[in-house]
Amino acid sequence: MNESETIIHMKNLMLRYPTGKVALSGLNMDIPQGSFVYLIGESGAGKSTLLRMIYGGLRPTSGQLKVQEQMIRGASDGQIRALRQRIGIIFQGNRLLFSRTVFENVAMPLRVQGWDAQRLLPRVKKVLSFVGLEDRLWSYPETLSGGEQQRIAIARAMISNPPLILADEPTGNLDDDTARHVLDLLTSLNKLGTTVLMATHDLHLLTSHPGHVVQLRQGALVMGQTS
Amino acid sequence: MKTWRKDREVQANMRLPGGWQLPPFGIHQVLALVIVAVALWSVGLVWLALQGGQQWVGSWQQEVKVHVYVDKENRSMVGGLQKRLSKLEGVQAVRVVEQQEALLWMQKWLGGSGLDAKGFTQHLPDSIEVTLATPRHELVLQHIKEVAEKQGGSVNDDELSLAQAWDVLATIQNLAWFATLIMAMAMALIVSNTLRMILLARAEEVHLMRLMGAKEWFVRLPFILEGLLLGAGAALLAWLLQWPMLWFTSSWQLSLGIDLSGWAMLLPLLLSGALVGGLGALIATAHIVSPDNET
Repeated sequence: MNESETIIHMKNLMLRYPTGKVALSGLNMDIPQGSFVYLIGESGAGKSTLLRMIYGGLRPTSGQLKVQEQMIRGASDGQIRALRQRIGIIFQGNRLLFSRTVFENVAMPLRVQGWDAQRLLPRVKKVLSFVGLEDRLWSYPETLSGGEQQRIAIARAMISNPPLILADEPTGNLDDDTARHVLDLLTSLNKLGTTVLMATHDLHLLTSHPGHVVQLRQGALVMGQTS
Repeated sequence: MKTWRKDREVQANMRLPGGWQLPPFGIHQVLALVIVAVALWSVGLVWLALQGGQQWVGSWQQEVKVHVYVDKENRSMVGGLQKRLSKLEGVQAVRVVEQQEALLWMQKWLGGSGLDAKGFTQHLPDSIEVTLATPRHELVLQHIKEVAEKQGGSVNDDELSLAQAWDVLATIQNLAWFATLIMAMAMALIVSNTLRMILLARAEEVHLMRLMGAKEWFVRLPFILEGLLLGAGAALLAWLLQWPMLWFTSSWQLSLGIDLSGWAMLLPLLLSGALVGGLGALIATAHIVSPDNET
């Protein structure tokens, strides 16, 4: 695979916690730009840990992890900040700020990047219309259903147009229909060129929304090793 | 049209986190503001009282001077007394007050009442003005008195009392500085504690901002600004609370011949309030822990 087309590169990647427990070991994988990758595995297999490493929340103990041409292990705080501005993150519990409006939640990544208030409004409206919630611009998240909240979280992750979206169990708390709708949105984003790496338990979704599958077991790859 | 108006309205009031945007003002901030204002008010009162005391003893003058008087019959002793006084440790200068100078002082004192100043001046004793060195020697006042009395002179006891009162005020001033320092630390800790509570309440917001790549100044600036404003706001409140005290004591001030200035306290209070607020904010934001942000 051409290295320039690889958005995430792992080589002998290992993470050991200070307690001595090995969370991930011997991971070798290249994720091409524009792909849709499911990260599956049992609870405690290391899915969320791997996602955290990809956005620089954890540093590898050994091996290589390169995300968007940025080596994570030796990266400075400033480099990690710059990388995070190029990654959209969707959390399992959506992690919306309930004291703030939908607009304020969705605008947050651009606000962090220094966009002024005047430019924010049209952009937020555009992404909310993509997720079908343009009429909820000034609502508070608690007035929305679980599925709508997750769609707001997707809007927040995609607003800065990042080349990579990490989704940690985005359908975990949703019923099947709503989960499918959320996945439709992620698939649409992927079709627009965004790489999506999604950790999930909902294997039945894979039949309706195909993608490359990577399976982790006890911190090691058991399926989908590509190097 | 209606949506456009609503957009404009909300845009004007949007509360986006981070940067120059202050966190919402809540009950914690109100409590801190009141506590810091009361503390600043009490410190301000101490300094106002000190200002009054200094005015009362007339210590705004830079040098403390003592006058030694020699009666007409002992006039021949003036030269020797002047020499002995100038040799005393802690005495900076000694000079004999000329008759002409005494006449001018008398005319000024009589205030153009038409009385014969020259006649009065002739009855005044000869006067030696002793300027004391700074810092004042511990026993100099006692030595001046002893030497003067041994040579047939006398010392203006009121001046000695005022000089001693000045010493007491200097000690009180040192105590006031110490109390101010302690109060400043306590106020900074109150602001810091309040901001820590607000930070705790906004931990998720801070965590999210960091996950989105926010710079540290962007995350911390609202809390620093809040600390500064909290301190300055408390100072303004403390300053306003001083006026009733000044009005209540106006008759005392008049009878003691002092004039306390509330306006003079405005800038020192504002600056010290902002300083303790800023210090508290710096303490509170020195280490903000978020998961996924420890490298």
